[in-house]
Parts: sequence; structure tokens; C-alpha cells
Amino acid sequence: MSSDRSADGDAEGTITRQRPIYTESQVIMTTVKVVIPFVLTYGLFITFHGTSSPGGGFQGGALIASVVLMIAFAFGIESTRAWLSNTLVVGLGTVGVAIFAAIALIPMALGGDFLEYTAYYPVLGDTLGLKEYEFVKYGMEAVEIGGIAFIVSGVLMGLFFALAAGFTPADLDVTGAASDAPTDEAVGDDASNAATDATGEVDAE
Amino acid sequence: MSVAATTTTATPAVAGALPLQSVGITPVEASLFAFVLITAVLTALFRDVLASIVIFAAYSLGLAIIYTFYRAPDVGLTEAAIGAGVTTVFLLLTIAKTTRPASDARFESINWPAVGVCGLFVGVVAVTLPAFPAVGDPSSPILTNADVTGYYLSTAYDETGAENAVTAVLAAYRGFDTFGEAIVVFAAGIASLLVLGREVFTA
Repeated sequence: MSSDRSADGDAEGTITRQRPIYTESQVIMTTVKVVIPFVLTYGLFITFHGTSSPGGGFQGGALIASVVLMIAFAFGIESTRAWLSNTLVVGLGTVGVAIFAAIALIPMALGGDFLEYTAYYPVLGDTLGLKEYEFVKYGMEAVEIGGIAFIVSGVLMGLFFALAAGFTPADLDVTGAASDAPTDEAVGDDASNAATDATGEVDAE
Repeated sequence: MSVAATTTTATPAVAGALPLQSVGITPVEASLFAFVLITAVLTALFRDVLASIVIFAAYSLGLAIIYTFYRAPDVGLTEAAIGAGVTTVFLLLTIAKTTRPASDARFESINWPAVGVCGLFVGVVAVTLPAFPAVGDPSSPILTNADVTGYYLSTAYDETGAENAVTAVLAAYRGFDTFGEAIVVFAAGIASLLVLGREVFTA
């Protein structure tokens, strides 16, 4: 992306246009191919070991999302957008909120307080073979992994693609940027419904 | 980690005067601070937005190293992943959609009244510096407070089984706040779609 900024100094106008956002680079593609497995592993490590070492769902989720960002920068945002389904991106965020809300609200149904992890002990203690205090640790890990990491990675990926597409008014089809922003109504319907469901659940508590 | 055992009362007045010198600032710290300061000023000065963004990423990386140096690895990781990584990518994406004025000037012209106001503000804040305890001072109020810090450090492992006290506070003791923060992140994603007038992230 840095190489496409060299064409400035246009003599005729005060404004220079940007070159296209994607330039295929063998160096970047090879580097990203080599680095990605390590970044993904590190992101998962940070997420899963949040209770016993520095890090947690937020940092790990950001690293997992950055894998997709790197793929998009190396192989083109449009091809990455076509490869990554909207259902996956929205699903990560909404499922994360649903899991977090469920883990938080179920203890209230069991007679405990909001997010009282030990309220699971009388119900699940025997089947899982865990002691009461262990439910706090595994509850925290469930919230970090299933809740925060899912939400952060999904939202960061989504923000990236939303920013890349930019703002294109439906009736104002300007040149250039408008062509790379297809508005697929049919795909978005079930996803946005799921989003309103999740937020409705949050409002209810 | 034996902070909870110390029951000495806080003496903020003693930890005054010149906090950095009393601890002894190492060359590593000094160079890190200089790096962060220079990159921060350069971010404001460069006329080319692309250069500003790249230097801003370097500034975030310097901050992340400082956080790690002062034993706040959780904050350092966040600063490195979000500040140096994801924010840089988002800013680059944004300026790729803009145009820039063709100009030979490398630096912004300096607005001296603004520099004066900023300098005054920094001066006023700097006056309060001697009131802070020294970095890592075991007698600082935050460490001798047995009701909050001491309680978490001494009981977090027994009550939650988490070796990382930061995560214990975030996900167990203050889980309700973390729940709210997670919802804020989710709402930010939805709001960005609303602002951009789109229904899908990827299509």
C-alpha cells in the first residue's frame, strides 16, 4: 500500500488522486503467508491463557481479527470480502454477546446473582466433576473465550470491511468507490435479525 | 506480591520532590520516553497524513513497550494490538479513500498560539507531578490500600483460581462492567453499519 503513494507532484492541479488501494506484491504475500500461522496461534494462546498469563479475550480477539486484516492487505480486500461470509463476521459478534449474556443470566434463573459463576455448581458440579471454586475459573474462561474474544474479533473484522467499502448512497452512484460496494439485501436480512435479537436480550435484563 | 502483608500507612508527602530521580531513571526508560515524545510531536508536525499514521503506529509501539517495562503487560498487549496494529490499518484504509493536497512542504506550519496553549496545559499538569508517588514505590497509597488492591492481590487466586489478577478483576470481580464493555464493542460495530448506510459487513 505504501508503493502506490509515489505519484504526487501533479503539476496541473492542487489535488492529486489516490492510486487503487490494492497492489499485488510478492513480498507482502509471502511474508503474510509465513507470519499468519504464528499470529493466529499467538492470538489463540493469549485468549485461552488469559486467566493464567497476561492477555485475555480482548487482546486475543484483536490478534485473531488482525489475521484477517493481514490476509486482506496481502491478497486484496475484495477477494477477502468474497471469501469471508457476512454470516461468519456477524455471527461471531452476535454469538459472543449471546454466550456472554447466557453465562451471566443463567445464574439468576438458578437463584444466584448476575454472573455468579458458583451458582452453576449445584447443577453441573457432579456431571463435570469440578469443585465449587473451579467454576469461577472456568466461568471466567468461558466469558473470555466465548464472549469477549468472539465479539472483538467479529466486530473488528466487520469494521475493517465496512470501512473499506465506505459510504455509498444508494441513489448516488458516483464513480470509482461505488462499484466495489455491492449492497446485498438478501444476505443481510437474517444477520441483522440476529443482531436485534441479541440486543433485545441485553435490554431485557 | 507481598503487598497485602505490609500494613504501613501511606506517606505521600515523603514520596514527593523529584519522583523519577529518587527511583533512578534508567537509560532504557529515558530513551523510550524520548522516543515516545519525539514520535508524538512528529505525528502532529508531518504534513503527509500517511507519514503521520506510520509515526503514530511507532508512537503506540513505544507506549506498549513502556507499559510492559512498567509491568503492565495486559495494557501493553492491548496498546500493541489495538493502537499499533488495528488502528493503523483502519486509519490507512480511511486515508486511502481521501485525496491530499499536492504540496512540497514536508511539515505543517507551526501554530504558535496553539503551541502556547498546549505548553501552558502541560506546565499546569507538570506542577502536579511531585504529588505522585515514585514509580514502584511500595509505600504508595495504591499499594498500601488493603481494602482494594491488597484484597484483590491476596484473595484473587484463592477465590477465582486465576493466576492473572487483572483477568480475575475483569472477568470475575468486575464482570458486570466487562459485560457492558463487550456490549459497547458490539454496539460500535452495529453503529458503524448504520452510519455507513449498509446492511452487511461483507457481501
